[in-house]
Amino acid sequence: MSRLGRFAVKGVFWRQYLDWAIVNLPFFFYPLPLTFFTIFFFFFAAPARRAVVANLAFVLPGSSRAMNYLRTFRTLYNFAWTIAEAAIHRILREEFSYEVDGAEWLEELGAGPGAIVLTAHMGNYDLGAALFAEKVHREIRVVRAPEPHPESAEHLSASLERAGESGVKVDYNTAGALLSFDLLKAVREGEIVSIQGDRAEGDVAQVAARLFGAETKTPTGPFVLSLVAQVPIYPLFIARTGCRSYQIIVRDPIRVQSTGDREADIGKGVGQWCAILEEVIAAHWDQWFAFVPIFVR
Amino acid sequence: MNQPPSPRFYFALPRLLARFRGGNATRAEKNGSEAWAASVAIYAISYLYFAGFVPDPLSWWMRGLIFVALAFLVWLFWLLMLFLNSLLLKLVHSLGLFRSLPTRRGQGVLLAGATTAMAIALTQRDSFISEIGAIWLIATALNLVASLILVFNNGDRARQ
Repeated sequence: MSRLGRFAVKGVFWRQYLDWAIVNLPFFFYPLPLTFFTIFFFFFAAPARRAVVANLAFVLPGSSRAMNYLRTFRTLYNFAWTIAEAAIHRILREEFSYEVDGAEWLEELGAGPGAIVLTAHMGNYDLGAALFAEKVHREIRVVRAPEPHPESAEHLSASLERAGESGVKVDYNTAGALLSFDLLKAVREGEIVSIQGDRAEGDVAQVAARLFGAETKTPTGPFVLSLVAQVPIYPLFIARTGCRSYQIIVRDPIRVQSTGDREADIGKGVGQWCAILEEVIAAHWDQWFAFVPIFVR
Repeated sequence: MNQPPSPRFYFALPRLLARFRGGNATRAEKNGSEAWAASVAIYAISYLYFAGFVPDPLSWWMRGLIFVALAFLVWLFWLLMLFLNSLLLKLVHSLGLFRSLPTRRGQGVLLAGATTAMAIALTQRDSFISEIGAIWLIATALNLVASLILVFNNGDRARQ
């Protein structure tokens, strides 16, 4: 990677700068740099800005394009706070407060054998994995889309694993089949695997789904894994509710049962997932960090 | 769930007031309103301070352009100041001085000190701007008095 690549929108420089700022800036100064960096990225991260505007047109039908630009600014601003607070948790170990919506399902997930946590690019998913690993004292394997910059990927993996104090392991979902076997082995051995299921990127196996009445693609991996390993899928999201305050949202588990028709079984699971995803995104559209176009026009 | 039972504050003045009301007076870095109030005040005072140097004879559109650019230049000013101060703090720590002072507290001293100096300069001007400078000075003085009261009462220590 060229030296200039470090300064690209997804380059490692910004992540390193954030770490520096967390160590060096007093808490009462955070709103200022976060607001200015949001303005900076609103203009310079043009593909992400356009993608959020396009996605919002489906999530909030009838909304004007101008309003969606303002909403995009709000989404980027929330993103700035969430990554800053994930870094605060990782570096400073400051206290965070959270409430749980769906506590019974969270308890079941923590106490049960292997399971799949299906989440979205929403709220503070990095912090969520770390908090979850700490709370239930279990190892969680986080599957992420590969980062475009190797240095950023390295920094992010190290950060996530440090945040969860060895309770969090990071895997990248590339096209290879090796990861699928790894994950199958992990859930069968009682581990919890966390996958982001709101978009299918690259060459990963995917299936057409309907979200907000439009066509989208969802990764099939979690549903196939659930079907083969016969473990439930727990939809789990973590939304920011204020300064260092979060809400963990857990919904009824999705159980992909085998009826002999594999496609229909997976399709049923995908349908259930999309209904939950739609409900949560509609309530927290300003924290849906889908920086690529999700819907097929 | 780990929700604290009552609101908690960072600055000494609201902590002292909370204590008078029978609430929690321990320091917490999770009050968003405080963070916003302080950062807006710091930014407004530094912006007004530098805006005073924009020459009057310029045309209105040129002055407008400079005021817009100044919004970003003030941000860059603080970024540079904080970076230079972090180097200074490293140097001071390496010399064995103020080792118990955490970097973020050291940066807080710089921010409060520099803003107070600018606020003093604002009080010398002939407009409502001088009132803004005076409000900052009064708030800072009250906060210092409150922190002294808290220190003598419960020995609040800086966290690492």
